[in-house]
Amino acid sequence: MSTEGPVVNVHVLFFAKSRELANTPRSKVDVPVEIIASDLLDQLVSRFGLTSIQNSLILAHNESYIENLSDKILLKEGDELAIIPPLSGG
Amino acid sequence: MIKSEADSERTKLKREISELRAALNRKEQCLRELEAAVSVGAGAEDHAEENALVSPGGTTHTKLTNDDIARYSRQLILPDFGVQGQLRLKNSSVLIVGLGGLGCPAAQYLAAAGCGHLGLIDYDEVERSNFHRQILHSEARLGISKAESARIALLELNPHCEIRCHSRLLYSQNAMHIIRGYDVVLDCSDNVPTRYLLNDACVMLRKPLVSGSALKMDGQLTVYSYGNGPCYRCIYPVPPPPEAVTNCGDGGVLGAVTGTIGAMQALEAIKVIVGMGDVLAGRLLIFDGSSSLFRNIRIRSKRPNCHVCSAQPLITELIDYEMFCGMHATDKDNPLQLLAADERLSVKEYQEKLQPHPHLLIDVRPTAEFEICQLPEAVNVPLVEILDDSYLKRFAKQLEDKELPIVLLCRRGNDSQIAVQHVRNRFPMHSIRDLIGGLHAWTNSVDPNFPIY
Repeated sequence: MSTEGPVVNVHVLFFAKSRELANTPRSKVDVPVEIIASDLLDQLVSRFGLTSIQNSLILAHNESYIENLSDKILLKEGDELAIIPPLSGG
Repeated sequence: MIKSEADSERTKLKREISELRAALNRKEQCLRELEAAVSVGAGAEDHAEENALVSPGGTTHTKLTNDDIARYSRQLILPDFGVQGQLRLKNSSVLIVGLGGLGCPAAQYLAAAGCGHLGLIDYDEVERSNFHRQILHSEARLGISKAESARIALLELNPHCEIRCHSRLLYSQNAMHIIRGYDVVLDCSDNVPTRYLLNDACVMLRKPLVSGSALKMDGQLTVYSYGNGPCYRCIYPVPPPPEAVTNCGDGGVLGAVTGTIGAMQALEAIKVIVGMGDVLAGRLLIFDGSSSLFRNIRIRSKRPNCHVCSAQPLITELIDYEMFCGMHATDKDNPLQLLAADERLSVKEYQEKLQPHPHLLIDVRPTAEFEICQLPEAVNVPLVEILDDSYLKRFAKQLEDKELPIVLLCRRGNDSQIAVQHVRNRFPMHSIRDLIGGLHAWTNSVDPNFPIY
């Protein structure tokens, strides 16, 4: 992942459709310590082929929904990011 | 009688019996509908189906009967539940939208626990592929309305539960009217438009919405429109594109997974009604059945500019949800029409003209589906391997021969069209066609003994 300045290694978990698209349930990536949430999402989307669901998914950081994608978020080594698209089946 | 004759006689008799049984079910349903219409017509001027329950508040129960005490004793002794909890449940009404893999177990636990009034909505009819997860329906009720079938099973479980069936599709014109009469709504539906419709209606009517969903080995659960919690649109303001949505018929689902989420929907509904515990609002529960992991994600509070639940909503009455989502409000697949008629083959034409001659027959279904059943001579190349061109190497030799006809097929004749478009782009001089209607058409027109799934 493109990086400038200090980076940390974080876990990324993929759920439902994103797991199919990324072709893995989990991955580890290097990300900047400080990053705007929407930039982080863009990087994850392009790296893991999630373009088709980019506008309808939850990005969670340490089990919390990132409410505002224009917020800057601070990441620590070993943090957990989760990509959660809606499920509609029943 | 030789064995093959006996076999075919047996198959024929079984088919006739199941057809007769389906006819019997249809007649019984007509009779029930007629009786319901007559009894409602005699009592009031209300129209039978459209109206929600005749105000459960009309007769508020303040005491438990001896039967109640015996029947519910194991939950009555729970300190947080008790007699007050049981009475609240008895006076409550819950609407269950969708009597499938989620709705069956949810309805089962609610009826069994003593929920006084249940409304059941489903437009669909019971079919064989439902049984592995939709556990209220049974062989004897093949072909009848799912709502009716569920009602019959639930009354066997608890005859004290009052059940109203709405055997129709829920849509913008009837949703408010139906939902108004209930205290809590369970979203057990199987499609995106219905999820937005239920969300908006529940926000407008201020009804808690217990939303469950499941696919493959995954489940999700949360309660919307409860307290200060968000609504579905706060979390997912934009519906996913249709091509990113998979239904249970295509993606598959394990019954124990829908059962887990459905049972938990009943649990959340009971907590909302009784006022016990911490309701799962403002949190999304994610169930990963393959690793048996439950996760709780703290989801956002209300979105300040939410189109439906904010202080200045843009949506103040129900809209056309199929248009909004670009999808139908069912989980049925629609036939694609990507190719011209001369780029396709009927299964009969294939059988008569091509099958006896050299050709390359490529089945583009996923490997798990190919293992269920396949045509002789078919080779399996899943659609993804067509689209990423990894098939090229494997068939390098055959593809050199422009005279060798290529036939692509799948389950229903949709993916095979996508595959033809892709392969034809690369090999414009080859004869490349697909089978109209896929293996389903093969069963219907060529070989009735070929399995359908």
